[in-house]
Amino acid sequence: MFQLPTVKFTEEQEAFRMEVRKFLQDHAAKGTFTPKCDSWLSGDDPSFSKIVGEQGWIGMTWPKKYGGQERSTIDRYILTEEYLAIGAPVAAHWFADRQTGPLLLRYGTEEQKEYFLPKIAKGECYFAIGLSEPNSGSDLASVKTRAEKVEGGWIVNGQKIWTSNAHVCHYAVTLVRTSPYDGQNKHAGLSQLIIDLHAEGVTIVPIKFLTGEHHFNEVFFDNVFVPDNMVVGEIGNGWAQGLAELAFERSGPERILSTFPLLDELIQELKQQGDKEGLKEATKLLSRLWGLRNLSIGVAQMLESGDGHEVAIPASLVKALGTKFEQSIPEIARLLVKAYPKLDAERKFDCFMAQSILHSPGFTIRGGTTEVLYGMVAKGVVAK
Amino acid sequence: MSEMKEMILDVAERMLTDHVSKEVVDIVEQGDWDKNTWSLFQENGMVAVAISEENGGAGGDLEDLLNLVRLTGKYAAPIPFAETTLANYMLETANLFTVEQIATYSLEEGLTVENNKVNGTLYNVPWARHANFLASFVQSNQGVHIALIDLSQATIEHSSNLASEPRDTVKLNNTEASLSNPLTDEQILHLKAIETAFKIAQMTGAIEKANALSIQYSKEREQFGRPIHRFQLVQQQIVQLSGETAIAVAAFNNVCAAILAEDYFQEIAYARIRFEDAVTTITTVAHQLHAAIGTTHEHALHQYTRRLWSWRDEGPNSDFWSESIAHYLLNNDTDLWAFITKTN
Repeated sequence: MFQLPTVKFTEEQEAFRMEVRKFLQDHAAKGTFTPKCDSWLSGDDPSFSKIVGEQGWIGMTWPKKYGGQERSTIDRYILTEEYLAIGAPVAAHWFADRQTGPLLLRYGTEEQKEYFLPKIAKGECYFAIGLSEPNSGSDLASVKTRAEKVEGGWIVNGQKIWTSNAHVCHYAVTLVRTSPYDGQNKHAGLSQLIIDLHAEGVTIVPIKFLTGEHHFNEVFFDNVFVPDNMVVGEIGNGWAQGLAELAFERSGPERILSTFPLLDELIQELKQQGDKEGLKEATKLLSRLWGLRNLSIGVAQMLESGDGHEVAIPASLVKALGTKFEQSIPEIARLLVKAYPKLDAERKFDCFMAQSILHSPGFTIRGGTTEVLYGMVAKGVVAK
Repeated sequence: MSEMKEMILDVAERMLTDHVSKEVVDIVEQGDWDKNTWSLFQENGMVAVAISEENGGAGGDLEDLLNLVRLTGKYAAPIPFAETTLANYMLETANLFTVEQIATYSLEEGLTVENNKVNGTLYNVPWARHANFLASFVQSNQGVHIALIDLSQATIEHSSNLASEPRDTVKLNNTEASLSNPLTDEQILHLKAIETAFKIAQMTGAIEKANALSIQYSKEREQFGRPIHRFQLVQQQIVQLSGETAIAVAAFNNVCAAILAEDYFQEIAYARIRFEDAVTTITTVAHQLHAAIGTTHEHALHQYTRRLWSWRDEGPNSDFWSESIAHYLLNNDTDLWAFITKTN
């Protein structure tokens, strides 16, 4: 069994946690935002993203010359936990901060880094991730969106789907096929292009979420011209480049804490009701949270010390187990405290309950289905 | 963990792999035990780890000791290691002299003391029939003390747990004892926490072994022309097992870190509560993966699953720790996230 390090937060890190918490509590108190569950996917608020950008809290681990703060992965972990614990609306800049920045730092050209990273860090430039297609979900390597070489760039044709927040984003890092599909080597011939979502030939069509809210989109590309300087890394290396960042994507606090505001309300309600038996039952949820947080922080610590290649399996495990935990909170909470879930309820418990129930199905699908992750973990532990 | 710690653990693990075979574990069921490995552990100072040097200890801290206990769990070693070391830890905590011979312990109610004479009955005392001394809670009109009792003065009735480990009844009738001062509430809770940590350590070791045996078996066993780990439904079981094992191991490591940081009640409580699901899942899935062969006495799997089914009901259990967390939450005006992140 893999061994993950334990992490003791330093005094500076604890002070940073308190700084973030106070900042977020103050903004919640004065109505800058209304806390909600699953706020990292469903809370897109560009004005709030600019506020946290001014704090230096977007791209905080990046080099200073690109607008970053050169802080540690653990600092970013703490920041993310605080956002999710209170339910702050961080969706607008989320993917640019979590994925695009690290991708460009590793594979981008100097021009790309200088152009995009400072804007992202200010909270003014948002990226979507163009991966899934109508017939390519878990079998992502079968994507059919293609780019053909022309003078000075590439012409893109095809379609992406489930593209979160494409309607508020400026760009999408898009996985496209730059050589024909080869059944023997299906991961070859894929490339990552930065596509301007306002370019000619791009059409964004909303897909209403089951609540009626607009988070997902279909994005159509009809002869969209992408200049050569918008290719990320090497042509043909898109699969490997995308995989490199998966550990960050899969093991973070957002795989454990999406419904934390509901758990917090549950404990408040039980305390107010003086329900000791209910609280005892709820300690099972706290112990599950603690157990998962140990793994998730352990992976973050390994990423910090540069052992990224060692953590692919534990990171997948964190996502597979953590998202089931997020899903289980409303199912258990409703048995402990009488609820009537409503999205517009005045009582926070009912409101968070509604958000949690309705958003739950997505937790175990987005970012790699549980089934795909299970397959990876099983093969990984058997091979050890 | 320091290099020296890793060296101690490497040495201990080598002794256990070399000497504690499946057959050696079996001897406990005939009422015998592994004196050979015990001597090796004594000669190499393992039994004196975490005892202070003025008491003749070998240095090292509780993290080292708990990791040794975890290893004895991983090999189901039929030696009174956890018992002797926990008894000595109790004696040191209460400012009594530690002992070099085999000792056992009890933190249960059942004994009373008056004029240094102890009376009463304790049930399910581990290894009592083989032990020379007992360190136990005893009740006086002043409070709870720790008493050190010479077991040659006691009446011992043999009994055992689900894994056939000795869990004896100890009857004391006006037995002479060395007695500590009355313990504070903090000391009592501290000892219950450390006893829980010992059980967590043992269970972690057994979980690791049950997991390893199961993964290994899924590679060796072939049906329909291929190893069973190739079947997706089996892979699902492997992930459940690996997930619970990963959580248990990380929980144990975090409990050790918390004990070293001297701020550990929450961690021990969470770990102990969390181990309920871990033990249920791991024992169920490990047996399902092994299928019929795992239900035989001949196969080693039961040496670990039977211990897990026993140990989870020994010492302060998950209900005890749920109660303690619920009590705290109910009586303190604390925000949940501040509580979890220890930033009250």
